[in-house]
Amino acid sequence: MNPIRKQRIYALVAIVVASIVAIYLVISALSKNLNLFYSPTELVNSELSSETLIRAGGMVREGSIKRSKNSLNVEFIVTDFNSDLIINYSGILPDLFTENAGVVVQGYLIEDGTFKAIEVLAKHDENYMPPEVAKLMEKAE
Amino acid sequence: MIPEVGHILLITSLVLSLFGGLGPFILKKELPTKKIALVMFLLVLGAFIALIYSFLIDDFSVAYVAQNSNINLPTYYKFAATWGAHEGSLLLWILSMNIWLVGFIIFDKNKNKYFSDIVFGVSSLVIFSFLLFTIFTSNPFDRILPITPLNGADLNPSLQDIAFTVHPPFLYFGYSGLLLPFAISISAMLSGQSNQEWASSSRPWTLMACSFLTVGIGLGSWWAYYELGWGGWWFWDPVENAAFVPWLLSVALIHSLLVTEKRNLFINWSLLLSIFAFAASLLGTFLVRSGILTSVHAFALDPERGLFLLGIFSFFVLGGLGVYAFKNTIKSQNSFYSLNSKEFGVLLNNVLLVILAASILFGTIYPLIYEAYTNGKQISVGAPYFEFIIFPFAILLGLVQGVALYLSWGTTKSFNFITKLTLESFSVFFLTLLLLFILFENLIATSFFIIFIFSWLIAGSILVNLRFNSLSTYVEFINRRIGVLLSHLGVAILVLGVGVVSSYSYERELILGPGEGIKFQEKEVELLGISNSMGSNYISKKANIRVSTNKGGFDLISEKRTYIPSGQVTTEAGIEAGIFRDFYVSIGDNLEGDSWSFKLQTKAFIRWIWLGALLITLGSFISSIKLLRKQA
Repeated sequence: MNPIRKQRIYALVAIVVASIVAIYLVISALSKNLNLFYSPTELVNSELSSETLIRAGGMVREGSIKRSKNSLNVEFIVTDFNSDLIINYSGILPDLFTENAGVVVQGYLIEDGTFKAIEVLAKHDENYMPPEVAKLMEKAE
Repeated sequence: MIPEVGHILLITSLVLSLFGGLGPFILKKELPTKKIALVMFLLVLGAFIALIYSFLIDDFSVAYVAQNSNINLPTYYKFAATWGAHEGSLLLWILSMNIWLVGFIIFDKNKNKYFSDIVFGVSSLVIFSFLLFTIFTSNPFDRILPITPLNGADLNPSLQDIAFTVHPPFLYFGYSGLLLPFAISISAMLSGQSNQEWASSSRPWTLMACSFLTVGIGLGSWWAYYELGWGGWWFWDPVENAAFVPWLLSVALIHSLLVTEKRNLFINWSLLLSIFAFAASLLGTFLVRSGILTSVHAFALDPERGLFLLGIFSFFVLGGLGVYAFKNTIKSQNSFYSLNSKEFGVLLNNVLLVILAASILFGTIYPLIYEAYTNGKQISVGAPYFEFIIFPFAILLGLVQGVALYLSWGTTKSFNFITKLTLESFSVFFLTLLLLFILFENLIATSFFIIFIFSWLIAGSILVNLRFNSLSTYVEFINRRIGVLLSHLGVAILVLGVGVVSSYSYERELILGPGEGIKFQEKEVELLGISNSMGSNYISKKANIRVSTNKGGFDLISEKRTYIPSGQVTTEAGIEAGIFRDFYVSIGDNLEGDSWSFKLQTKAFIRWIWLGALLITLGSFISSIKLLRKQA
């Protein structure tokens, strides 16, 4: 086989092998790390397993934030103006978390219909609305 | 008055850039490109200064100033607010492109005038399209008339910070620097340069762009670490990925251009990669500024801007590919290389970097694809996806990099170095483990793999010289290859930082009242008290925290600031920085009386991440300067 052709085959083999590995990695990583976004309305009577990591979001209902006095537990309600979702979280909330502001939480839907958040997502601009929440608000109007 | 002057300067430069852009293609004669480029640069610089001026004198009749500044903003931040949001940062971007173009025209020593005219023409067209975009969709000089606000809304408080003010200029300069390799690639195809010539024209600029991208990304990471308040250094946010993907491609391009110049190989690949790297930088701009992805970097949502940018992106990328397909006058050549050559090493480097970049890009835009195909169902791709993908690629890249500097062009005659390299790597490996054990009194097995890669890289980048027999040849070798060695050493340091910080970091969230204490990581942490204080445009609650160990101690202050007038709250972390470990405390929420929640963290070796980035920056900068001087 002539050396140039051999050389091309090396290059091709390298590319093909690396691509196959990458595609395998991408597919297996995607299957584990996709978090679907749900609105509070979609989560009412939902059949979701409490083991599936999901995202939910909406506006934080005014006057709904209840902090524990001696632990980091906090409870609040997120609404899309059709339905409410009770969120439980334990930890420090982001600075931009306030009443009547858009919020996205990541966590699990518990059997009793409440949401156990493991992460409350912060945006570093007060005027910024997460696109998911912005779309919900558009629908609500 | 001044804003109108700025606006007119922009429009003048728009016209001039269109002329400069079309001239080389239509007139077919030599143009005074140096003069045009300088004038264009001065016009944009003038506009930029007009905008700075409007900020400094608090001209709130200018909408952009009113949205991003305030009378009480400290003067330095008024200045930096110029690039604090979309319109101004776009202007800064255009200014950077002009600086690159002027730099190219002054320093490039390519003999062929037609070649450099086309580079000038392509660059001017890109500048033209960005000016058009700015003037029509994002004019920073738009006025609010006749009812002018008395005061502005303020600069986003998270951005009122020194690192932030320097992070965007470096980043944009890096981003926009990818314009030159693109323009050079197009011009090379049209003017039929020899590969040696165009590749040697392109290399210093690609290195320089990469250098600025690296420092820009590094500063951003550092800023996020202390300013966003929660001690992370990389979040896999779409905007971070939008900078990381072009960075990966620019690194790949640096290596492939080297082979093209020295060995007359990978020619088509280098031409295409130049286009892709620039495309990635444009795509990044589009993703960030159209607001279609969920990101912490909040530029306002505006579909019109998104469409316009998509248009610019398609025009130049398709145009570039069109030139490649139909107008490519570059002759492809072949010279032989074997599996154990430096060429093959670079080939692996490129395949790995480009596929990694593609996978990251895919994960970044997958939410959009998913939404389009499922009728609006929304998803997010989490950080675990990216970590899962990058890990094997980083390992493979590390293994290749470790041997790369030992390999010769064509074919490597002797593989005796493998024994030495292995020996050296294991020595470094055990020394590092020893150091970690002394520092932290435990060894975490999950970090071994990455520490070995670090050792392999160290052995492959600086200990490479152990094969020299005398000190003077060693010094001479280091001197000659200082840029290469520094940047490869930087990768090693960065890898160690990432590996150690991800396994030797601890955190705890808890509640403390004044006078209360807790033991965390062998340290006594006590909240001395909470005090009120005032800054020029904020009020704050300061938590004074004493950390003591049996060897001494230190005090830290973490602040909760409330900015006036926006009312936005930010957290300022208290950090005791150390080469081997940072102690990090941030104040959380107020619970009852003066009881607050706190987050305590220790971050081992986190400084090494930025030190590594700094070395890569320096190394590529030095290499670039050396190449430019060699050409002169």
